Amino acid sequence: MTEAIQIQLKRGVLELCVLAVLSRNDAYAYDIAAQLAKAIDMGEGTIYPLMRRMQTDRLVETYLVESSSGPPRKYYKLTTSGRASLAAQTIEWTAFSEAVNAILGAPQ
Amino acid sequence: MNRETFVEKLRTGLRGLPQTTVDEVMADYEAHFSEGLQAGRTEDEIASALGDPARLARELRTEAGIRRWELERNPSSAAGAIFAILGLGVIDIVILLPILLPVAATLLGFMVASVGIFTGGAIIFVAGPFAGIGHYIAAVMFGGLSLMAGGVSLGALTGLVSIGFVNGLVWFGRLHMRLLKPVLESSEVRP
Repeated sequence: MTEAIQIQLKRGVLELCVLAVLSRNDAYAYDIAAQLAKAIDMGEGTIYPLMRRMQTDRLVETYLVESSSGPPRKYYKLTTSGRASLAAQTIEWTAFSEAVNAILGAPQ
Repeated sequence: MNRETFVEKLRTGLRGLPQTTVDEVMADYEAHFSEGLQAGRTEDEIASALGDPARLARELRTEAGIRRWELERNPSSAAGAIFAILGLGVIDIVILLPILLPVAATLLGFMVASVGIFTGGAIIFVAGPFAGIGHYIAAVMFGGLSLMAGGVSLGALTGLVSIGFVNGLVWFGRLHMRLLKPVLESSEVRP
């Protein structure tokens, strides 16, 4: 059961994490997947349905960059509404995690 | 599982989607394998890190269905989105059908009623003056006209409610993808 809760938590914040990664640098999907898989232990395949969803919601845009090795890479960048969503979700996340930490009695 | 098996399973799962969508999705995963191989991983490692291709295909189908509904609001895209959401898991059908069917039937009833009222109004408007009711002609025509207007507004209202209803289902489907699915899967995996 704890494992199920972990997966739920990670899925919920995955979009926020992707927004945060892209706010620092534009990136291609493999790069995003590798960064997040290492940091929060996510299944790498989850990233592609999520990227398509974020594209549908117009949070990210794509462009192609020629690669020295192999076919051109599809890079993702944040849109204006992607940045707005990052700001809003960051505030929500901070408030939520502080509230949970306070209840757990963890040092803030 | 090697690259070929993974790609084949994914392609099978995506069957029925528009060809351009399938090509885009397949290109994403092919690129992922190429990047992974360059980074020195084996095909098996990459495939197992990606997860179950059949499940990925279900999520991608749902996303494609929702996308089409958001681009073109018509009965066919609504049906596509609803069936894609239902395809996510059997449990949804059990929960949703008792809600889905009466609501859909009610909305259909309202649609039929609005067409009926409009038609009735039109008949009264056109045929009323010939029915020989004398100096009530203006009143009869006005009555027909207001019935037609009533029919149109009832139809428009039903249309709005239908769109809201499908949007609600889409919201439910996405919630399911994000929250319920991992729970179901982890309970399937664990004995």
